[in-house]
Amino acid sequence: MIEASWIAGLGVILFGIGLLGAFSRKNAIVVLMCIEVMLNAANLNFVAGAAHYGDVNGWVFTAIAIAISAAEVAIGLAILLSLYSTQETIYLDEANILKN
Amino acid sequence: MSESNNEWHLLLPVLPFLAVAPYLYSTGWESVEAAYLIVVVPLLTFPLILILGQMYNGNETWKHRYKEGGIFALGALALSLSISVWIIYDYISGSAHFEAASVVDPFSWLTFDVLQHNGSQWELSTGFADIGVGVWIDSISLMLLFVATFLCFLICWFSLGYMNTDSINEDRNHRFYGEFVLFGIGMFGMVLADNFLWLFIFWEIMGLCSYLLIGFYFWKESAAAAAKKAFLTTRVGDVFLMVGLLILYNIYGSLEFAVIFDDPSTGVGGALVDSGELFWALMMLFIGAVGKSAQFPLHVWLPDAMEGPTPVSALIHAATMVNAGLYLVARMVPFVDIGHGGVAGLEDVGLIIAWIGGITAFMAAAIALVQNDIKKVLAYSTMSQLAYIFTGLGAALLLLNIGENHAGYFVLGASMFHLFNHAMAKGMLFMASGSVIHEVHHAHDHVRELSLKYSSHEGEDPSAFDPQDMRIMGGLAAKMPVTATAMMFGSMSIIGIPLIGGFWSKEGIIAETWATCLHEEPMMFVPALLVLATAGMTGFYMTRMWLMTFAGPPKSEVVGHVHEATPWIKEPLIILTLITAIGGFALALLGAANFLGGESDHLAIHGDDLLSAILNELEHAFLPDDANLRLVGWTTILIAMVLGPVMASRIHGGRLIDGVESSPLVAWLVNLSSRFGSQNVDELANSQLAEALQRRLYFDDLYEMVLAKTAIPLASFSAWFDQNVIDGVIKQIESKSAFGSVQIRRVTTGSARDYILMAAVGMLSIFALIWGVSA
Repeated sequence: MIEASWIAGLGVILFGIGLLGAFSRKNAIVVLMCIEVMLNAANLNFVAGAAHYGDVNGWVFTAIAIAISAAEVAIGLAILLSLYSTQETIYLDEANILKN
Repeated sequence: MSESNNEWHLLLPVLPFLAVAPYLYSTGWESVEAAYLIVVVPLLTFPLILILGQMYNGNETWKHRYKEGGIFALGALALSLSISVWIIYDYISGSAHFEAASVVDPFSWLTFDVLQHNGSQWELSTGFADIGVGVWIDSISLMLLFVATFLCFLICWFSLGYMNTDSINEDRNHRFYGEFVLFGIGMFGMVLADNFLWLFIFWEIMGLCSYLLIGFYFWKESAAAAAKKAFLTTRVGDVFLMVGLLILYNIYGSLEFAVIFDDPSTGVGGALVDSGELFWALMMLFIGAVGKSAQFPLHVWLPDAMEGPTPVSALIHAATMVNAGLYLVARMVPFVDIGHGGVAGLEDVGLIIAWIGGITAFMAAAIALVQNDIKKVLAYSTMSQLAYIFTGLGAALLLLNIGENHAGYFVLGASMFHLFNHAMAKGMLFMASGSVIHEVHHAHDHVRELSLKYSSHEGEDPSAFDPQDMRIMGGLAAKMPVTATAMMFGSMSIIGIPLIGGFWSKEGIIAETWATCLHEEPMMFVPALLVLATAGMTGFYMTRMWLMTFAGPPKSEVVGHVHEATPWIKEPLIILTLITAIGGFALALLGAANFLGGESDHLAIHGDDLLSAILNELEHAFLPDDANLRLVGWTTILIAMVLGPVMASRIHGGRLIDGVESSPLVAWLVNLSSRFGSQNVDELANSQLAEALQRRLYFDDLYEMVLAKTAIPLASFSAWFDQNVIDGVIKQIESKSAFGSVQIRRVTTGSARDYILMAAVGMLSIFALIWGVSA
């Protein structure tokens, strides 16, 4: 039996990878993917907690979070499309019209 | 100017206003119900004149038909006059409606909730102070109401002639009339007010108008400075007045006359009034009165106030506003009148007032001896005569406080009667001096035009010419007979020549002051001696002024061209001359002094028939029972009527040049003045005393020096403190936050990655913090 703390540790590692990717990569699609990784790290923690405590709420939350993250990805991709159509780029360093 | 006869129809619109009182009477109004209109109608006229003046400025009809608002002002004042005469008639004839002193229909205006300490704890009592609006009517307020409305009306009429023919007033007279009417509101309101708070409010309105009107020629630096000086000096008194009112409120828990005067010895909650506390309240009120009535040591503003237009000097600074202080002191009577529930042990109040009065009377008369400006002589004369009234009131308060009721009421009545006589005479004297100044000024313009026409050189600088300097006048009796006659009667009234106006009242004040000194209080000796000496000095300076202006040969070319021609200046003078010449005697016969002293509530002839009444009155005036008083009375008459005028005649008297005529009485006086020989007084005139008097006994210099040592350093320190400390703190906050915001702005790079990093780092720090705290 794998200990819940190990799964939680995996979640932390996954979250760290996602975070690192989110602020080090320029490509907005990769950043979106990194955000998904962070979300799934959180989901993993929920699942680990649910297994450890024998509580069904963790699984339910995970199912809801996945559904919401699907919606979020759809919106994120739509933003990327509109970003590309106005700025002709999806590199985040170049999309900084708010600064000026 | 020749069209003066054609202008009478312009006054027709005023007539309906005079008829308002009879109309209201016929529709069944009570006179006291109409009393509000005395204040309310001018209150509506004031903005009307200003607005119309702005709209129609320069319009021919507005200027010539409505005299730039003067006709409106005259109408409103006519209405006030007619209603006040109606009230006075009702009061004197005793046709019901009045208690001896009545409050009429007060309605609530302000309600205060007051936090009160009831021995053990603070609690809020609601509706504690209820300040109503009402009308207070007694003989003193009625007398002053008549003086104010009557003189406002006449002087407004005079202004139509004086102001509207003056080229420098082109197109701005609506301001004059607006402020004039506003002044009327202040004066009428103050006199009618039924509590000290309203009295104070209207008192301040008058102060404001005084400031505005002295500074009417604001482009003249001296006028602007004089306005400021008058305002600030009276303000010193006003602050004390306010403190006095607060003390009174603390004692009585109300400022209503009705509440306070009902039982002045019982304070709020039935507590017995402490005479020490009341003493300070009355002294504070008196300091306020000193400021308003220009008494020593707050007298310095009045002579400078003569920078204003002459009608203003006549109305505000001689006839009405300066009487406000006297009115306030007369209102103190119930506090000290132990015969009617006053507080005992306040003799010092009367004594101090009498001393201040005596000192001012003497000092102002001394300064008036050497003034060469015709209006300045009158200004100092005003101070001196007001001081007489203060001395009389002081004696009255003293006598009433030691239980000498009869003598006290007599001198109170004499003082109030002197106020009446002085207001009438001085209002007229100022109007007459205005007439002189106006005509001399016009003559000067005329001469200057001629000299420009016939010679190539530029003539003298017109602004260097001073039409108020009596040294360039002389011989005007031939040119201005009406003015000369008016001024003669006015001067006689002020001097106290027997049988004319001021004699009846002044004699009473001097005699009673001496009686107080001899029988009751030896400390009254100084004021008594000073007012007696002042009587002689008054005789000198009034005669000197009249002779310098009207007698002798003309002292400059300008005077030869003077004509008494400006319309509407003479008529008010004639009316007031009649009142001064005959009115004083008539009112004395009717017992005005007893009426004003509150001993009798109606005016009536005392005696079986007119002749015996006259004889009785004369005997009373010239041959009183007390031998001391007889001595004092005759000394006064001797020095005021003989010594002073003869000395003035020896210095300034002289015949008119041959071949010119004047009215018989004036001509006789002028000739009389040349019979006493002449005396050269150059040595005296150049002495240090004369110099000191010329410089107004250095009071202005002293105040300037003291202010330079105290107020100006304080003011510059405050300015420094404001600029450096207060502004400095604010500027520091501002520049530091500007710097900070520049620093913070650097963090906003606009790159999403940086923001994410910051969010992550922040999040981690929060976790770390929570972990650190919980561990």
